[in-house]
Amino acid sequence: MRFLVVDDSTTMRRIIINTLKKLGYTEIVEAGNGREGIEKVSEGTVDLIITDWNMPEMNGIEFIRALRGMEGKQSLPVLMVTTNAAKDDIVEALRAGVNNYVVKPFTPDTIKEKIDAVMAH
Amino acid sequence: MASPATAVDPQSTQPMIETLRACTRDVFGTMVGTSLAEGTPIDGDALRPQSNVVGQIGFGGSRSGLVVFYATFAGAGSITRALLGMDADADPSKPEVADAIGEITNMIAGSFRTRMATDGDAWAISIPTVTMGSDFYMTPLTDGRRTMLPFRMGEHEIFVELVITTRVRRA
Repeated sequence: MRFLVVDDSTTMRRIIINTLKKLGYTEIVEAGNGREGIEKVSEGTVDLIITDWNMPEMNGIEFIRALRGMEGKQSLPVLMVTTNAAKDDIVEALRAGVNNYVVKPFTPDTIKEKIDAVMAH
Repeated sequence: MASPATAVDPQSTQPMIETLRACTRDVFGTMVGTSLAEGTPIDGDALRPQSNVVGQIGFGGSRSGLVVFYATFAGAGSITRALLGMDADADPSKPEVADAIGEITNMIAGSFRTRMATDGDAWAISIPTVTMGSDFYMTPLTDGRRTMLPFRMGEHEIFVELVITTRVRRA
């Protein structure tokens, strides 16, 4: 399974990538904002996207809206990892097309549960 | 010139202090993989932590202010190694340390914002800023209640400060 990790924080990208590797996933590409994320999706096969919300240039919500407008990407699983955990934030993210939501701080078990949940759908 | 002052009721801010302590413990327990020993909170600005790396985030909601994170170079390096899964003898670069402390500050303040917003008020936080050096002095341009929360992570002391604004000083 090939992951795309989108986050402007190199630290958070490394934390998520290390977590994915601990879970046994090794095919991972990364992007520093939503615009780069769209480029990576266009370049090749991605099976699941993990994205931040607050990013420069194109934030996570704008990224997902753009992604959902791309041909064949309407059902590509997207997991959002963010500190934005207010009810209104979660509703906005789900409306934009996020499949599931992880609030920072998180454990590897939480990431695994959410990956399993979005892939089951 | 300053905006009108409002009093800060210590009793009303105690839940904010307890919430920030809990958020700090949770972030370190979950993301850094370490339990923090806690010291007694210190009110006012009598304590100036010896620190080289300072992360800072503003918040606004029913109260406004700052969350400030303080660590020494050694402490910040230890946090960075743990966050990034680096070897114990690795020497993280300054950009790695700055980014890691920014992320730690962001997670603490983000958790704080989320928990404070559960009463229905809208709360927001700013993006983090990180200052690194060996000879600088941090002072917010606000009057209000300042509470320093001391923690110990192994051999390293770290501090989280809650500044609750009552008025903003302007030139």
